[in-house]
Amino acid sequence: MRRFGLVLLATTALSGCHMPGQPQPGPEVPRPEAVMSFAQLYGENCSGCHGADGRNGSAMELANPLYLAIIDDAALRNIITNGEKGTLMPGFGNAAGGNLTDEQVNALVSGMRAKWAKPNVLSGMTAPAWKASHPGDATRGAAVYAQACARCHGNTPQKPGPAGSILDGSFLALVNDQTIRTIVIAGRDDIGQPDWRNVMPGRALTDAEITDLSVWLIAQTPPHPGHPYPGTQPLAPHTR
Amino acid sequence: MPWYRRTYDWLERRLQLEGPIKDAVLHPVPKSTASWWYVFGSASAVLLVLQVVTGILLALVYSPSASHAWNILQVLNQQVPLGWFLRAMHGWGSNFMVAVVVIHMAQVFLFGAYKFPRELTWIIGVFLLLLTLGMAFTGQVLRFDQDAYWGLAIGASILGRVPWIGGQLVHLMLGGPIINGATLTRFFALHVFILPGTLLVLTVLHVWMVVKLGINEWPMPGRLVRRETYIQEYNELAHKDGLPFFPGAAWKDAYFAAAILLAVAICAAIFGPYGPTGTPDPTVINTVPRPDPPFLWIYTVLSYLPPEMETPFLLIVPPIAIAVLLGLPFVAGVGEKSWWRRPVAVFTVMFLAVCWASFTHLATSTPWSPKMNAWSGSPIPTAFLEHRTPLERQGANVFQEKQCRNCHSIGGSGGERGPALDDVATRLTEDQLIRQVLLGGGNMPAYGSTLSPPETTALVRFLNTLHPNYQPAASDASRAVAEQGGVPPASTVEPGNGQHKTQ
Repeated sequence: MRRFGLVLLATTALSGCHMPGQPQPGPEVPRPEAVMSFAQLYGENCSGCHGADGRNGSAMELANPLYLAIIDDAALRNIITNGEKGTLMPGFGNAAGGNLTDEQVNALVSGMRAKWAKPNVLSGMTAPAWKASHPGDATRGAAVYAQACARCHGNTPQKPGPAGSILDGSFLALVNDQTIRTIVIAGRDDIGQPDWRNVMPGRALTDAEITDLSVWLIAQTPPHPGHPYPGTQPLAPHTR
Repeated sequence: MPWYRRTYDWLERRLQLEGPIKDAVLHPVPKSTASWWYVFGSASAVLLVLQVVTGILLALVYSPSASHAWNILQVLNQQVPLGWFLRAMHGWGSNFMVAVVVIHMAQVFLFGAYKFPRELTWIIGVFLLLLTLGMAFTGQVLRFDQDAYWGLAIGASILGRVPWIGGQLVHLMLGGPIINGATLTRFFALHVFILPGTLLVLTVLHVWMVVKLGINEWPMPGRLVRRETYIQEYNELAHKDGLPFFPGAAWKDAYFAAAILLAVAICAAIFGPYGPTGTPDPTVINTVPRPDPPFLWIYTVLSYLPPEMETPFLLIVPPIAIAVLLGLPFVAGVGEKSWWRRPVAVFTVMFLAVCWASFTHLATSTPWSPKMNAWSGSPIPTAFLEHRTPLERQGANVFQEKQCRNCHSIGGSGGERGPALDDVATRLTEDQLIRQVLLGGGNMPAYGSTLSPPETTALVRFLNTLHPNYQPAASDASRAVAEQGGVPPASTVEPGNGQHKTQ
């Protein structure tokens, strides 16, 4: 009788309960294009630069409600698929030689919104548009820099402020005006970079000021950025 | 007389099996063989039976067709009640069988049991080992997943290196020039008919000889094997200081076999079946195929061999190894059996065991292989980005985007092909970092043509921050000298007696 009980126990244990070795539903390794989980897509493709939870990465903070509020889905899709020219953001879409299908890019965009967007973050405010609407004036941008940025980033690359220089030639060569515009508007609360309302003491920056500032900053890129001996001429291409 | 007794007598009068079976079961064996060291052979046979039974059950469902095999395993895993457990028992049974067969072989070798008159038992045992490995490999192919596909590709490319007939051998193995449906059918026939058929016949022969020649007595230092006297000495030992095989020695075999079966079942329940991993589609390139446990050591050896050594190694070493195993009882067929007086034998087994364990361990982490998605999937630890300048942050972006991370780990994640860079700034100065990045060297490719000057500058600025706070970055003493016009700075160290500089 006891033996019968043991057999019964073993059979129920095997068939009824979930043993740790029992496979999960679905294939163990799905085809790469069949992966649709935001956590997995983000973890494998984005977290390297944008941080584990969209924060504290080396590149732009994506878990930033302000950022997600000013940028629309089409622009996000375009950046993920094709990359951002003039910056280190590569294209991840199949068309740009990456691994992600259009559906996976959509899953990333909607996942970012579902996880990190806050619907009322801009209520009662008119934030500057994500994209600049006019060319901008570099001369006026210099004044904006002196008022809004120089406190933390310094007046010259040789004399950087406490937050490090953004006038450094190599830095400017690795970003574009949209990078600067995005970070000035949305800020990065994970590393203490204020948003457009708090950069300038006393008032928020205007759309025009931000446009002028980004044009002026990019115009500060030296002709041969990152060259260790700026006084010398670089080698002609055929002598390399 | 009850009915079952009458049935038995009717059968026995015609079959006449009682006598031989009684002889085999009750034959006297030396008392010293009733040892826990002598249980591995019978355990191998029990595992073979387990594999046959679970294999037949799997064959009731399996379909050796390239378009169905993978899906059938999904059905077994997900829909057939306990189908996953059956697959897991067969998979883990295979691992245990290879392990127990190898342990049995090592024990036989160390106990000198291959010596006269058991040379042929050993030789057949060598073939049984090869067949067991063949079963493990062909079984992995029947899973027909990414591991199977690339395992086949490796197998085919090894065969293809055979001079003159390599191409024909590959054609024979794959059933065509490429891995296709015919390949799977071919391996199904090998795994289900040819190899197990041979395995069973040779196992019967192997056991027959064990029964006929007697179980090897416990080796005693100084008791030498001589062709002229051994049989007589063994029979004396078995009869004077012996006991019937059943139940005298057999109960230990039974207990051990039961324990092994339980271990297989526990592993099956906890770790589950092997795969199937992704579909066997060569267009899926982001996959990390890996052989099953018995072949992990080969994976390591082949990965570490320099390319020019691969073909000679693959074509010369296996035949030599098999020839050594087969020739062993002819070279050392008599003499000392005890491991106390065979230091070379003991050292060989220990050496091979250590090599096997190290290679297998290395194959689980594959440090020779870049981690192809580390650049986009392994975040830079927050501590390495705190209080960094905008340029240094861009340098971290370069580090990831140019896939440095795939070979260099920081914060414990990333590739292991190159050194970890957590404290690289304590080892290299800024100038040395620039040189290393641009020109490579020490097994690292040169990145000078793929990095722009701003990217290099940013990257090196970031790398230059990678040192613990309590340790200063490496510095170039000659820089300070050069900046002061070639005059060395005044030394801060007090000179000792007799060390005063003469100006």
